[in-house]
Amino acid sequence: MTTATTTTATLTDRYVDATLRRLPARQRPDIEKELRASIADAVQDRVEAGTDPAAAEHAVLADLGDPARLAAGYADRPMHLIGPGLYLDYVRLLAALLVIVVPAVAGVVGFARVLQGGTAGSAIGEALGTGVNTGVHIAFWTTLLFAILERTTSLRPMPARPWTPDALPQPPSRRARQGTVVAAFVGVALLTTFVLLSPFVSTETDANGDPISILSPWLARNGVGYVFVGLAVAGFGLTVAKNYLRWNPAIAVTSVLLAIGVSSLLIWLAANDRLLNPAFVSAAGWTAEVAQWINIGMIVAAVLAIVQNVVEAAVGFRARSWETPEWNSMIHTIADGLTIRSPRR
Amino acid sequence: MQDDELYALHQQELRRGTVVLACLLILSRANYGYALLDKLDRSGFGVDANTLYPLLRRLEKQGLLISDWNTEESRPRKFYRTSDAGLALANSLSDDWDNLHAAFRRLKGES
Repeated sequence: MTTATTTTATLTDRYVDATLRRLPARQRPDIEKELRASIADAVQDRVEAGTDPAAAEHAVLADLGDPARLAAGYADRPMHLIGPGLYLDYVRLLAALLVIVVPAVAGVVGFARVLQGGTAGSAIGEALGTGVNTGVHIAFWTTLLFAILERTTSLRPMPARPWTPDALPQPPSRRARQGTVVAAFVGVALLTTFVLLSPFVSTETDANGDPISILSPWLARNGVGYVFVGLAVAGFGLTVAKNYLRWNPAIAVTSVLLAIGVSSLLIWLAANDRLLNPAFVSAAGWTAEVAQWINIGMIVAAVLAIVQNVVEAAVGFRARSWETPEWNSMIHTIADGLTIRSPRR
Repeated sequence: MQDDELYALHQQELRRGTVVLACLLILSRANYGYALLDKLDRSGFGVDANTLYPLLRRLEKQGLLISDWNTEESRPRKFYRTSDAGLALANSLSDDWDNLHAAFRRLKGES
């Protein structure tokens, strides 16, 4: 070897090292031998054509390009974090987790803070902070999981079954209907238990050690609690009817009237501060503000419930079915229904 | 006016598979990496070295090529040869290519 090739050999060494470093150890010896031979062949070719050896080496390595890219080619390793094969699943799962878990965690944390006697401000602050934190964690771990899946073909869930039109969502199956009915029943049972037990079970007690109900005693005195339970049971009956009977205007109208009635009653109670027991509020150390926010929250929820029920009923009337479209399509329906005309001069 | 970047992108898409077919055809007679690169270049199949070398290993892993180290010469070289499976695949792909070629001709003849 001449002195001229010593410096260029160093350049090759560095290039080969940079490439091999990124490869599994068992692949290295074979690839090193082949890569060195290929580089030497290319350099020799250029030198024979009259190029200076150092310049030839430099040009050959420049042609080969970034060692990282070459190594990725050898390792057959993806040059992306999450490829097209998994991207859709990734986005769907991430969106679902963020939409479901973040608000749930934030809500629970904020509510717990209120129960511990925190101010509305601290509850909102804590809920927001926890929400952001949870979101970051979900995004990170989901991304990591999919990046690993992308790189371990053996772990990859079946080459996803080919999509067929059969995979299109069906109108609620019998099982899904049973699910709705069961969920409605659980809701009614919880509400009833809550209303009936609230005078006897509470986190706060008075001077005599008797529990202080969280619900206003006014509700019990006037039997409004039982009215609510009665309405909830009626609502459950309508849910069952909706799931097992064909659409008919009587049930549709009753159902929307019931929803409006319950919500209006709730709004009236909250607006007149007849929902929470003032004794409980002071015993729990809540400020009047917290009680007020809870009332406002109830009113907002009730108004939303009315809007949802009315829109749902309207869509149902149009389609003459119990279909409860997703909000997106509902909004489209409303937008289509409104004849929006641009003002004309 | 032609967008050079866009052209390069689509040209690369169009050529991707042709390099595989060309390799399988050329390597029906055993050859080594750099010589193959040179031959591809002179035959009009422009391909980068950093694409070709990993490609050869992938094709070998898929059983389409067979490799052998030749240590008889001063510089040991890894020689690749198309396997029987590779030859069969090359035949099928060649037919596909011919069909595509004919299809394009018809397409351009009609217009």
